[in-house]
Amino acid sequence: MSSGERDALTGLITMALVFVLFVWRLSGQHQAGLFDGPQALQTWARSVLILVAWSIGIAIAVAVAFHILYTSLTGERTDDRRDERDRDIDRRALTGAWYLLSFGLLGVIVDLALGASAFRAMNLVLALCAGSEFFKDAAKLVLYRRDA
Amino acid sequence: MARPAGRIENRIRRLRFDAGEMTQKDLADRVGVTRQTVLAIENGKYFPTLELAFRIARTFGVGLDEVFTFHDD
Repeated sequence: MSSGERDALTGLITMALVFVLFVWRLSGQHQAGLFDGPQALQTWARSVLILVAWSIGIAIAVAVAFHILYTSLTGERTDDRRDERDRDIDRRALTGAWYLLSFGLLGVIVDLALGASAFRAMNLVLALCAGSEFFKDAAKLVLYRRDA
Repeated sequence: MARPAGRIENRIRRLRFDAGEMTQKDLADRVGVTRQTVLAIENGKYFPTLELAFRIARTFGVGLDEVFTFHDD
């Protein structure tokens, strides 16, 4: 397994875990009424920043755990080199993710124009960021597998 | 006007065999890419940059057109 393929796989696992963490934490705080009132967006932003810090920790933990598991199960070391094919796959996956994010943001703006609240819009933007990142890693995995 | 379709084939597997059954890993190490990239090129799933194509040809001591051939369909 090349480092690019490994990064895509660990990225997918990380994003799935981070998404569950965000939904669980933010929906819990929402139900507890923490996002009510005029300071709602500020409180929400602080919560998201804390969760971003958590996400970085999760990403490191997943990468280390995957490396240890992969090495112990297969007995082979992953190739840490990144070459022109990795960069080509990165570019193709990023292009797809960029389109998803762009059209999604356009959708959020339409939603706002139709009367959605800023709070809802910010949550949608956050979900879009996570979704496009997930899409990018999934597309990379598919491209690595299809073009092997 | 649409560009006519073409097909690029390579003889890397044959050249590796002729070079004392050089492994994909050996070739990858010599040209500075991963084994997976050599595999993808051999299978015609990835087309290398001109620079990498020259590196591969140079590794086998042959010209570029002896490694890659272009066919009009």
